[in-house]
Amino acid sequence: MSRVHGPWFALPVGLFLAAFFAAPIVIVAWYSLMPPRTFELSGALTTANYRAAFGEGYERPLMWSALGAALTTLVCALLAWPTATILHRSAGRWAGVVTALIALPIFISESVRLFGMSLFLMPGGGILAGTLNALFEVRVGSILNSRLGALVGLVYIHFPFMLFPLLLGVAMVPADRIEAARDLGAGRLAVFREVELPLAAPGLSIGCLLTFVLALGANAEAAILGGRAVTVITAAIEQRFNYAQDWPMGAALTVLVIAVTAAVVFPVLARVPLDRIIRR
Amino acid sequence: MSRSGPLPFLRAAWIVAILACLYLPIVSVVLASLANSRYMRFPHRVWTLDAYREAVGFFQTWDLHLISLQIAAGVVALSVALGTLGAMAYARYDWRGRGLFRRLLVLPVFFPQPVLGLALLLSFTAAGVVPSWKTVVIAHAVWIVPIVTLVISIRLFGYDVAQEEAAFDLGATRLQVFREVTLPALWPGIFSGALFAFLLSWSNLPLSIYTSGPDTPLPVWLFSRVATNYAPLVPAIAVIGTIVSALVVLGLVGLRGALARLR
Amino acid sequence: MHAHPARPVALALAGLTRRFGALAAVDGVTLDIAEGEFVTIVGPSGSGKSTLVRLLAGLEAPSAGRLLLRGRDITGLPANRRPTAMVFQSLALFDHRTVGQNIEFALKMKGVAPKPRRDRALELLRLVRLPEDYYGRPVTQCSGGERQRVAMARALASDPEILFLDEPLSAIDYRLRKTLEVELKELHQRTGKTFVYITHSLEEAMVMSDRIAVMRAGRFVQVGSPEEIYRRPVNRFVAAFMGEVNILAVEGGVLSGLGLAVPDAAGPFAVLRPEALRLDGGALGVEAEVAQTLLLGSRVQYHLRAGGQALIAEVPAGGRALLGPGDRARFGFDAADIAWVAE
Repeated sequence: MSRVHGPWFALPVGLFLAAFFAAPIVIVAWYSLMPPRTFELSGALTTANYRAAFGEGYERPLMWSALGAALTTLVCALLAWPTATILHRSAGRWAGVVTALIALPIFISESVRLFGMSLFLMPGGGILAGTLNALFEVRVGSILNSRLGALVGLVYIHFPFMLFPLLLGVAMVPADRIEAARDLGAGRLAVFREVELPLAAPGLSIGCLLTFVLALGANAEAAILGGRAVTVITAAIEQRFNYAQDWPMGAALTVLVIAVTAAVVFPVLARVPLDRIIRR
Repeated sequence: MSRSGPLPFLRAAWIVAILACLYLPIVSVVLASLANSRYMRFPHRVWTLDAYREAVGFFQTWDLHLISLQIAAGVVALSVALGTLGAMAYARYDWRGRGLFRRLLVLPVFFPQPVLGLALLLSFTAAGVVPSWKTVVIAHAVWIVPIVTLVISIRLFGYDVAQEEAAFDLGATRLQVFREVTLPALWPGIFSGALFAFLLSWSNLPLSIYTSGPDTPLPVWLFSRVATNYAPLVPAIAVIGTIVSALVVLGLVGLRGALARLR
Repeated sequence: MHAHPARPVALALAGLTRRFGALAAVDGVTLDIAEGEFVTIVGPSGSGKSTLVRLLAGLEAPSAGRLLLRGRDITGLPANRRPTAMVFQSLALFDHRTVGQNIEFALKMKGVAPKPRRDRALELLRLVRLPEDYYGRPVTQCSGGERQRVAMARALASDPEILFLDEPLSAIDYRLRKTLEVELKELHQRTGKTFVYITHSLEEAMVMSDRIAVMRAGRFVQVGSPEEIYRRPVNRFVAAFMGEVNILAVEGGVLSGLGLAVPDAAGPFAVLRPEALRLDGGALGVEAEVAQTLLLGSRVQYHLRAGGQALIAEVPAGGRALLGPGDRARFGFDAADIAWVAE
């Protein structure tokens, strides 16, 4: 009986995602093969847009986005690992409260949070600079409108996306395995390398994947905190679509981002036992 | 584990520092809203609630909220309906294509949202669909339906199908089985799924920004006003928006409690 | 509580105490364990035996007391710097590694080169009687008994001075456990190492140990050879812990429940083992009615009622027809079969 029902229950979700996830990707891919600056889907197929993408310097925004996403992933992982292990092992009855407090900001719009961050970091009359000046008469510079500012924003927004999968990952490391390793002579670093890291790898992989992919497309961080210091790929695509009215070119850039995403997502998802993490 | 390594104090300090970093920007928004000057000069010379008075009297404040609410309500309805069915296929039934279904389902979650928004914008425009709050509902749902499906599935994994068979065996009809056994088991998952859907939709910027057209949801308006036209009104509306979403969540939780008492 | 006089002391526990808040899980435990000895610490759950072995392994720090390894104070030494090894109750095998990698772990931590590491691992596979081609196999593909042996080999790899075993057989089914008990005993003889074994099963302790320490509420209530523990339990707790046993109150030289006078009553309670009650002979005897008959393979267990007193008797199954419920018979025993206990 259940073998017959399954597909019917899957059908609505399947159709919805086919229509609004798969189809748009196909349409974008098709557009990317149309002649430059056309709005029809019936033109002759060409790779002109891809050739132009690399000829006209669009590899730079793509590189900035990829580099920013990689750095964000790294910094988030470095910050989230100790946080996750402390929450899992030592926080005791506070663990629930702290976890909820960390989760809460996800549900406050990132425009609000990034706005707050820019208010905090603003030079001169910002919250940080103003407070320091008023209390200690110290004048400080600001990282606002710089690449560093954009990176801080990226880390700030994506930290929870690293932390929560990692919490699940750390929970997959049984305490007795760590004790066994210590008993067999492993120091703190060896325990981390030989036991904790490999056993928490599924959670860490999901966290890294999520962080990287979300940061890859991120635009608001660079716009609000990065000023004009850096152009990310999403901004470049938007510019092609809206101002330059060059849809095929924008589509080609979109396909490139999707290609980078796919190149990262498929190998990781194929290796990670997602079901085992979700079931916990 | 032995008590060696970092002291408990260091651990507590780390956690406090992380929380401080997460909340400083939010506190900053609240602080900024308590000024009355066009330019941000902290500490304020005058601390005032003027910006809130202005925001409450400003017609656009409620327009923005209405649009965001409309979108969130649409996303909740769509994603709970699709997500409940999807969760049955994901966790309740064992069928031949299930492995593939599980793998494909998570793909929209692992996809850059602004890129998805742009791809949808291009597709909608190519199909002659004018962007509006309705297209935002669709865009949000592409990302949120898989999440809600997973949230409901987590509940269903612990569900023993034999309960339904036991109910049939005890003489229940198909409808009674659904009402008495299946739905109560699904209900907590559906409720959490609805909460997630609401909150994720309410706060979403990257999908809304490209698919909303002339209907501006709250986060998009904030984003555009952060860059230009700054005034204490902007942080005040940001605070109000956050409070409204908290009230909606509290309302839903209260409603659930009331429903539970009625049963 | 002294070790075998002829052999030097391998591990000395001196007033070892571990408190959790107001509760002392281990409360001033003192014991000398001799070189090459197989000592079993046995107690019910909550007796503190697991905490004690964690103190010995260095996974937990004592609140008071000292621990001396061959005369050297190791009380403050963390687990990874103690030359001892432990086999965990859960085995705690590294499931993400192969059998060989598990066994070699301690050597890798010591910086031993791959080649000698591998040689040692193969040697240990032979020692625990696993085929050498298990070396490259993921531990997740091993059966329960094989995992057990891998855990033993892993603990022995770095040639530890003492091996601690924390209920390693508790998750294994009865028949395999019996086999492994014998193998473990053999392994002890072959390696000549000092084994400290933790279990809640006195039966298991009896089979393997040179000496048994019975633990209750954080203290040792009795330490002695298996035979001493079995024949001369110091109190009702130890007696009852060994399995089903008849404990009879004594008042004025009379076993009160049975109304039977016994000569030379040496304590307020008489402990009588089920197998001491026989269907033939015995200077003392009771008329009893069979309430239930249980056939336990080669033996028969009778649940009896004599007067108001319930008794358990175990006799060999062969030879005569079984008694059924309602049958009456005389069950005899000798005064020498009684162990007298004070509490």
